[in-house]
Amino acid sequence: MIEKRHRGNFLKIMVLVVALFAMIIISFIGSEVGSGIVGSKPLSFLNVEAPKYHPAPERPFHALPITNTMITAWISIAVLGGLFFIGTRKMKLVPNGLQNFLELIVEGAANFIEDPAGEKHGRWFFSVCTTIFLFVVANAWVSLIPGFETIHINGEPLLRSANTDLNIPAALAVVSFCYVEYWGFKAKGIAYLKTFFQFGPLWQAIKLILAGNIKAGAGSLLNGVISLFAGLLEIVSHLIRMVSFTFRLFGNMTAGMILVMIMIFLVPWVLPSLFYGMEAFFGFVQAMIFGGLTLGFACAAVMEEE
Amino acid sequence: MEIWTTVAKLIGAGLAMGLGAIGPGVGIGLLGMGAMNALGRNPEARGAIMTNMILGIAFAEAVAIYALVVAILLIFVA
Repeated sequence: MIEKRHRGNFLKIMVLVVALFAMIIISFIGSEVGSGIVGSKPLSFLNVEAPKYHPAPERPFHALPITNTMITAWISIAVLGGLFFIGTRKMKLVPNGLQNFLELIVEGAANFIEDPAGEKHGRWFFSVCTTIFLFVVANAWVSLIPGFETIHINGEPLLRSANTDLNIPAALAVVSFCYVEYWGFKAKGIAYLKTFFQFGPLWQAIKLILAGNIKAGAGSLLNGVISLFAGLLEIVSHLIRMVSFTFRLFGNMTAGMILVMIMIFLVPWVLPSLFYGMEAFFGFVQAMIFGGLTLGFACAAVMEEE
Repeated sequence: MEIWTTVAKLIGAGLAMGLGAIGPGVGIGLLGMGAMNALGRNPEARGAIMTNMILGIAFAEAVAIYALVVAILLIFVA
């Protein structure tokens, strides 16, 4: 009895798998590239436009300097704002529904941040890191809604994933950089500059030389020069961070967009949905990395030296 | 003359992506190896190993993404 039911389920799954594979193969053979390989005629209902990629965001309203990525960013801001407004309008002590979900997010982020940063500094970092994370993940997931890039106005797409515009990751990177330096000054005061300008060892060496102890002074002179140079390198590394932040997010999201476009062109059915799932996961991971790296650099900036 | 510019662009883009993917490939392989070793020694720490491995892989992958950005710039912008 039980065995029979199992066999029925197994049969259903097998039929489903075979049907999906058949759809993949048919759509591959019917599409433009596949039909060229096999030597058949492309099927008319599988005719997908060849993928075109424009690095710069388009302007759907020609006169207004509003790009389509800006509109998407506004949409994701509105979605986040609306979600949190509705969820926290009637707050209850025992949460349910949306409020429960939002508390899950906020509590998870708070735990994630307080773990390395401690309670005092964690409270400083919480709002900025969590906002960056939520904004990036909202940008990534809003653009995965089916039909997102198909609306056209004046021949240009009205919407485009906000993270695929270099300006938005760059803006986030600058915000993250400014906040890290601000927290550094807030935690250590003017002594934070010692991270960048390490005159201490050099000064000691000069003092030793002036005191007449030339042999010991010359030894520590090299040490002083090296630590001065290390401080200058620290400045460069803080600035380079912005570039690497920007290109990491921009590159990942753009690569995902192009990958999905190419998969839709090659195999129009079934297979692109797998890549959609992967994109959802990568959007989350990249958002976590952006927020988490800001957190890590902030922790490094406020850390007390031994 | 024009065609040689295009040829140079395409070869440069292909080389940038192909050579740029070697390092991250090795790096991701090492990360996976480390994670598997850790998992074999301590199967209970599955969750923590998984999270950290994915974070590490994302960092290693970022280098390949830089190469991809260079390739895209070469083809579409330069």
